[in-house]
Formats: sequence, structure tokens, C-alpha cells
Amino acid sequence: MIDNGLLVQMILGALLGLSVYLPMAAGQLSLATPAFYAVGGTLAALLSTQDNAQAGITLGAMVGEMFLAAGLTAGLALLVGLPVLRLRGIYLAIATIALVEIVRVAILNLPFTGGAAGIFGIPQPFQQPLGYVLFSGGLLAACGWLCQRLEASRLGRSMAAIRDDELASRCMGIHTTRVKLTAFVASAVLAGITGVIAAHYLNTWNARQGSFDVAITTLAFVILGGSRSWLGPVIGGLLLTALPELLRPVGDLRLVLFGLVILLGPVLFPQGLITPALLERLGRWKP
Amino acid sequence: MSSSTKTEAGPWLELRQISRQFGGLQALSEVSFQVEEGEIFGLIGPNGAGKTTLFNLLSGVTPASSGTIHWRGQAMQGLSPDRHNRLGIARTFQNLRLFTGLSVLDNVLVALHRQPQGSGLDALLNSSRFQRRQSELRQRAMQLLEELGLADQAHRQASGLAYGDRRRLEIARALATAPALLLLDEPAAGMNPREKEQLCELLAVLRQRHQLTLVVIEHHVPLLIQLCQRLAVLDFGRLIALGTPEQIQRDPRVIEAYLGGSR
Repeated sequence: MIDNGLLVQMILGALLGLSVYLPMAAGQLSLATPAFYAVGGTLAALLSTQDNAQAGITLGAMVGEMFLAAGLTAGLALLVGLPVLRLRGIYLAIATIALVEIVRVAILNLPFTGGAAGIFGIPQPFQQPLGYVLFSGGLLAACGWLCQRLEASRLGRSMAAIRDDELASRCMGIHTTRVKLTAFVASAVLAGITGVIAAHYLNTWNARQGSFDVAITTLAFVILGGSRSWLGPVIGGLLLTALPELLRPVGDLRLVLFGLVILLGPVLFPQGLITPALLERLGRWKP
Repeated sequence: MSSSTKTEAGPWLELRQISRQFGGLQALSEVSFQVEEGEIFGLIGPNGAGKTTLFNLLSGVTPASSGTIHWRGQAMQGLSPDRHNRLGIARTFQNLRLFTGLSVLDNVLVALHRQPQGSGLDALLNSSRFQRRQSELRQRAMQLLEELGLADQAHRQASGLAYGDRRRLEIARALATAPALLLLDEPAAGMNPREKEQLCELLAVLRQRHQLTLVVIEHHVPLLIQLCQRLAVLDFGRLIALGTPEQIQRDPRVIEAYLGGSR
């Protein structure tokens, strides 16, 4: 039922879930992920269709694009993050939605991004979806490992403290602006490089890839999966990306069922599927 | 008494004509006093007298409307709360602001963030140096918890602690930032008389061991009389008395503020 093509999308979903999770781990409800995702995807689409679109692209060139996208999104996140992270809670969410809209409208209207139709014929570094599965799967594993290390480090502890009580964190001498900005930039970079992979995999890219809908869907990954550990958004991203496809046999009803899952998820699992209690039980069960 | 870190002769902590308005409310008006190094200084006054506001000013949480605060010769106006802490001022909160989602141990570990941690690369690779540093940090945190009598609860979640234990954890967490001045906002609130007695002894020990200057807000006046060298009394944002516990107990303005009287 799950073919390699779907698997790629699931992994990309998990990566975007992680991107939403990172600021949230520092208590910041940022919905900016689709904006950086769109920047990464557009950058890859533009660069790889420069001369001869049929020429194909090497893996090395795509990795190069990922580094460029990382740099660009990091710069953008620093620029936007400094003023925007002064906002809290729902106000930060609104400001980041505005960023998503600005980026979407810009990509829609810039003279070189193909307008509403977008950019076609983005060359593929892999001939089979399996290549994407392995590559993005490797990236996801690396990100998971980074998050695991983060939780054991000072930065991760400071993020958890800010999430619990920002004022108390400041009074303990934690440079909260720096910590929040770091999380925001990491989130942007992850979304940007995910965009690069997505653009090549999808073969085509347009402004709709980074819309407000994506902000809500990726937020649902974290809410359903659980926001107390990096495993939550990964599981949430994998499941919720697969679900609409797995529900295909029920026809038009599938979107209703998908909506029901998103609606009932937080009701039945208010802390998400992956809770600290669950992780503790798993930890104890491990030898 | 003068320490080597002190660059100029002058008071350890000095407030000059400190005022703070919130809209039309005059929370503090022209409060001036000094705190000496190593002193335990008490702050009392009826509810709404401006005690916590004063702590918020001293810890950089809210700026003063006018007046100046000097700490070890440095003007503190406009500095952020984290800067205040890095300059050696730590505080606890009247309404308890623990990191409730974290374990007791992690609450203290968070506050040990300025201690050597190993580089980012060490953290990434989980190198032996990183592990060694982290275990040193945990030892240091456990030592602080031990001092506050919380070592056996280190792995509980902070939200699960009894009230008195939470207050002690706030102190442990503040101590972890290695302050020279510790501001305690009602550290004995919600404690039973026995706990209050123990806290009193504990604070005296902690002051010695960590070379602290303490400023303590407390409603339980007998505790402050036992603990403090000097007391300041606030009423309606004004400093109405300042002196030794004996002087304060005899002061007619203090008796009036506490017991009421014809104004």
C-alpha cells in the first residue's frame, strides 16, 4: 500500500514537522515553515532549470543547492526573526502567517518564477523514488540524531526552560532572544533544504507549495504527533502524510475522514501520540 | 569587609530615589536605601506596599520610572533581566515560577548554563569530554539539591513537589547561577512553622557558604527579626522605616502601618 513514492512524501512531511517543532520546543508558535520551504524549493527550481532543463542534475549539485538554500533561509530567518520573535503566542503565529503570505505572493508575481503555473521540468538526481527515500531518509535520521543530542545539551535545556517560563529563564541569566533565534533559524534551514529535495522530487514547483494550508497541515503533524519530543512531529508527519493516500479506497469520503482524524486527534490524545510518559515506558523497556 | 572584586569604594547595593508608576498607581515613590556586602536585609510591609515591585526593579524585570540603582559600582538602568543575573543578581518568585515540565534536577541544570559544558561539537559527538562535563554539572546540581534537602526528589517532575519543596527548589535554582546578591520573595510562604524555622537556619548557612548578600521579603515578621541585620518597611510605596529589628519593632509608624490607626 505504501510505495516508495508515498514514502518520500511521508519523510518530507516528517522533516517539515520537525521544522515546526524546533521553535515550539523553545515555546514559540511559529507557522513560518512553508515560507522557508517555498524559498528552498524555488531556489532549487530556478538554479537547476537555468540552462538546459533536460540535462539532468547530479546529486552533488543538489547538495550544493541545499547548502545555498540553508544559507539563504538562515539569513532570511535572522532578518525576520529578530523583530518577529519579540511577539508571543498567537501574535507570533499571525506574524509568521504574514511572512508565509508575503513569500507566496512574491513567488507568484516575481518575473522569473513562472507565475501561477510555476516552474516545470526540474531535473531529478535520482531515476527511481528509492533514491529519494534513501537520501531523505538519511537526512531525517541525521536530524533525529541532532535533535536527540540537542535535548541532552545546554541549548536544548534552555529551550525547554523558555518553553516553560520565559521570564524565569531570563532571570536565570539565559539569553532568551539568542536561544529563540537559534531555534527559529534551525527551523528555517530545515524547511529550506526540505524544499530543495521536494522541488526535485515533484519535478515542478509553484507558489502554492508554500501556502497557508501547508502551515496548518504541518502544525497538525506536531499537534497530533506530540510536541514534547522530536519523535512526535516525525510520527505525526509520517502518519498524516500517508493517511489521505491510505484512505483512497473510500473515495471522496477520505478527506472527511482525514479531517475527523485531525479533529479527534487532539481530543483523544491531548498531548499527542508521543508523550513523555510513553517515552519513559519505552526507555525502561529498553535493555 | 571590602572584597577584591569591588572596584570602587561605595555601597554594595544602592537605591537612590527609586520611583515606579503603573498608570495612575504610584507603586514606589522615592525609595532610597543601601545594602552592605554580606548583609541579610529584610523587606516588610503590608500587601500592596510595593515589595515585589521593588524586586522586579532590582532584577531588571521592570524598569524604574525614575531614580537609580547601583550594584557594585555599576549603574543598572536599562539592563535586561538576564544581564542582571550575569552581573550576580538572582531571585526567586513569590508565585513560584519553576520549570514545571522539567525534573527537579533539570531545573537546577538549566540554571547551571554558565558552567563549562564542552563545545557544541563535543555535545554533538557525545564525546568523553562532554560526558565528563555533564556529569560534573549533575554532581554540582545534586550538591545544591542536597544543600536544600531535595536530593531524594531529584528525578521527580518539579510540578509534583510539595509546596515547601518548590520554594526550596526556587532557591536551589537561583543559587545555581552563582549569584552574589540573592533576592528571596516570600521564601517561607506556605511553609509550616517547623519548615520556617529550618529555612531560617538554612538561609544563614547558605549565606556563609555561598558568600551571599540576601534581601528577603517576608510576611512572617518573627522570621525576619531572627534572620536580618537590618529591615526596611514599605507602606503604600514609601519607605517608612529603616533600621535594626529592635528599632523597627519600636517604630510608631511601623506599628501604625501594620495595626492601622488614625491617619
